[in-house]
Amino acid sequence: MTATEAAIAEERRIDLLRCIADAGGVIEPQPNPQAEHGYEYRRLARNVEPDLQFLAERQYLDARFFDRVSLCPKCQSHHLNVREICPGCRQAHLTTEVLLHHFRCGYTGRASEFASDHRGEGGYTCPKCNRQMRHLGTEYDRLGRTSVCRECGLSVEDLPVEAVCLVCGTGTLAENLTNIDFFAYALTSLGRAAIGNGTLLERDDQLLFISGARVYRRRVMIEFLGQEMKRLDHFKIGFSLLMAEYRSAAAGDDHRERLLSGLRECLRDIDLIGQLSDTLLIAILPQTRLREAEALHQHVLAVLGPQPPLTLTTLEVTEPSQIAQILARGNTLGAQG
Amino acid sequence: MTGFFHYFLGALDPGSVFGFWRTLPELMISAYIPWWLLGVLPIARWFLPDMVCWLVYLVKPAVMRPPLPLGAFRAEPFVSVVIAGRNEAASIGAAIRASLLCGYRNVEVIFVDDCSDDDSIAVARRAARSLFPHGTDRIRIFSSPRRNGKASALNIGIRMARGEFIAIIDADSALQYGAMHHWLLPFADPRVGAVAANLRVRNSTESIVTRLQECEYAFQVTMARLAAARVGLLTIIPGAGGLFRAEIIRRLGGYDTGLGDDTDLTIKLRKQGWKLGFSVDAMIWTDVPATWRRLCRQRKRWERNMVKIRLSKHRDMLALGCYGVGNAIVMLDLLIIRVTFPWVAAVGLLVVGLMEGPLSAPAVLTDIYWIYLIWLFVKALIARDVAQTPQPNHFLLLMVFPFYKLGLRAAVMSAELAELLRIGVKHPYVPDHVWQETPWW
Repeated sequence: MTATEAAIAEERRIDLLRCIADAGGVIEPQPNPQAEHGYEYRRLARNVEPDLQFLAERQYLDARFFDRVSLCPKCQSHHLNVREICPGCRQAHLTTEVLLHHFRCGYTGRASEFASDHRGEGGYTCPKCNRQMRHLGTEYDRLGRTSVCRECGLSVEDLPVEAVCLVCGTGTLAENLTNIDFFAYALTSLGRAAIGNGTLLERDDQLLFISGARVYRRRVMIEFLGQEMKRLDHFKIGFSLLMAEYRSAAAGDDHRERLLSGLRECLRDIDLIGQLSDTLLIAILPQTRLREAEALHQHVLAVLGPQPPLTLTTLEVTEPSQIAQILARGNTLGAQG
Repeated sequence: MTGFFHYFLGALDPGSVFGFWRTLPELMISAYIPWWLLGVLPIARWFLPDMVCWLVYLVKPAVMRPPLPLGAFRAEPFVSVVIAGRNEAASIGAAIRASLLCGYRNVEVIFVDDCSDDDSIAVARRAARSLFPHGTDRIRIFSSPRRNGKASALNIGIRMARGEFIAIIDADSALQYGAMHHWLLPFADPRVGAVAANLRVRNSTESIVTRLQECEYAFQVTMARLAAARVGLLTIIPGAGGLFRAEIIRRLGGYDTGLGDDTDLTIKLRKQGWKLGFSVDAMIWTDVPATWRRLCRQRKRWERNMVKIRLSKHRDMLALGCYGVGNAIVMLDLLIIRVTFPWVAAVGLLVVGLMEGPLSAPAVLTDIYWIYLIWLFVKALIARDVAQTPQPNHFLLLMVFPFYKLGLRAAVMSAELAELLRIGVKHPYVPDHVWQETPWW
């Protein structure tokens, strides 16, 4: 790719980020039978999927699964007629039948084989032992429904599913169809920063930190947490977390930076501070017990003043499930944001 | 006590048997009834058929093990293999694969799951997908929504089968490659309604109990059924390996509920006058109980079924005018050899012990032991020659085989008594709702 082509591609991708920001920060695929694969991203240009994927891979967008579309493996059309077929003759001309089971003699057959009781007492007569079957559940039972092919007579319980392409006519078993996934994309803080900069952030510090504040980005913090868990697992060296949640998501950037610099002052050089969502900050305190973390907690409260705009909590991590809970909390807050 | 011990050891000397041989001519011309009943009759019943089979096999092997004719089954008849099982995830995959890959092309497998708690259905589906990734009608899987017992599960499979012949095998069994062609061979005779497979022990090296069962299967399954089938007196088409003409099994309405379903169906076929066949080369490898406790439980169940089905439900077989001489002989054989003889032997030993003094019983027993052992070795050599079973490394175990049989006999005799007295007749194999409806025979 030449420099000019690269510049054009970057500009296109920044425009894409701007479009998503204009759409409220989230873009979802919309169903459209005329679209190539059945879904399209309205407000966006056609064939934006490669760019969206590119931006999601680099954390500018957060991709969340939306739907899966099955396509004809031959012509890639999504216009498919999906139906159950007979595994013998591969016809879809099927019906269902109910099987009855007589407990006394063990006879099993179609309901039509059991003559109805003509004395008006209901129930059936067993063709094997010629006894009356009146009470469902105690004398006889229904064995569920079985599909029967009207073409070849085969009885099957578990029918295969086949899709016939309405464009090229190819018949394909459901498990052999081509599947493509569609995602909803949400703008991340990195994406917002890229829009602000007017360029994709390719420098190391831009990728690692949220602009200016030396606060690690979410994916970096997840890596650090994983590393700390390994240390805990191997060397039994515990660590604590100090979590700070903004009470108001709408706090201005200047205000946030002041809070962050205040928080930074309280922490040691070896402590790592990062962002799990727009409203949740987390500080990893290596080799720190809960008592020491709580002392830090009090110190931070003292530095931030009497009514800090943050809710602080401390936690000593002893097992992986705690980390999973924190990440889930980060995801929830991210989704709300 | 020490004297008795020396006496007992002395009786273990095989030389003591020579005393028996010296008195044999005298016994043979005597009218001593216990000798004829307890000596000659059992030998004639259990030893002569093997000897005759062997002699015939020596002269004309094709009579005992018919080879596949050249060009046979150019139009292979369609065979449905029906497997019913509950919680058989460990073995069902192998059973399905072995059935489909047995060297016979025109075959389908129907697996009916009797409401398993494990992932039997998933395993069966995986086996189907691994053999036919693009889908097939050669494996069909059905699941019973409620546990109804093996007979009912088999009936679902029989109902769904499309084949001209229906093979019933157990979920913990596997068809030997090439077995199906041999299995179908006796059906060349249109009077043959069903053919029993030759059950072989798959897990024979798992424990000493399974090793002993391999010897037992060689005598009582392979050789005894081979001889019985040749003279039209075969009494069982086993549930672990039976091939039926589909029209017959459907006409009979499949299996009856309750225990002993295979025995019951076999007797029904006999009553209708169908010939029953046996094929040595239609081998099915099956797992047998590996512990003494489980083996006793299995044999007690079989014995109870024998009493319930043969002696009670189908007791009319004994009437000569009803179902022919052959069936009456089968019933007489059952009554005399399997039921009366062990009880007479047990009571006889007790009486001899009481009348002749406590030291006489060991002498009688050790004489019986040595005669039985010589007889077993000859039987094993015959079985080995005719059917390549048991394995030669199990021959030494024949030394303990009489004790194994004695222990089993004691267990099954107690089961006979319990069944006759209707003690503990309900077996967990049959679900409650089915048991309540099943008639008592």
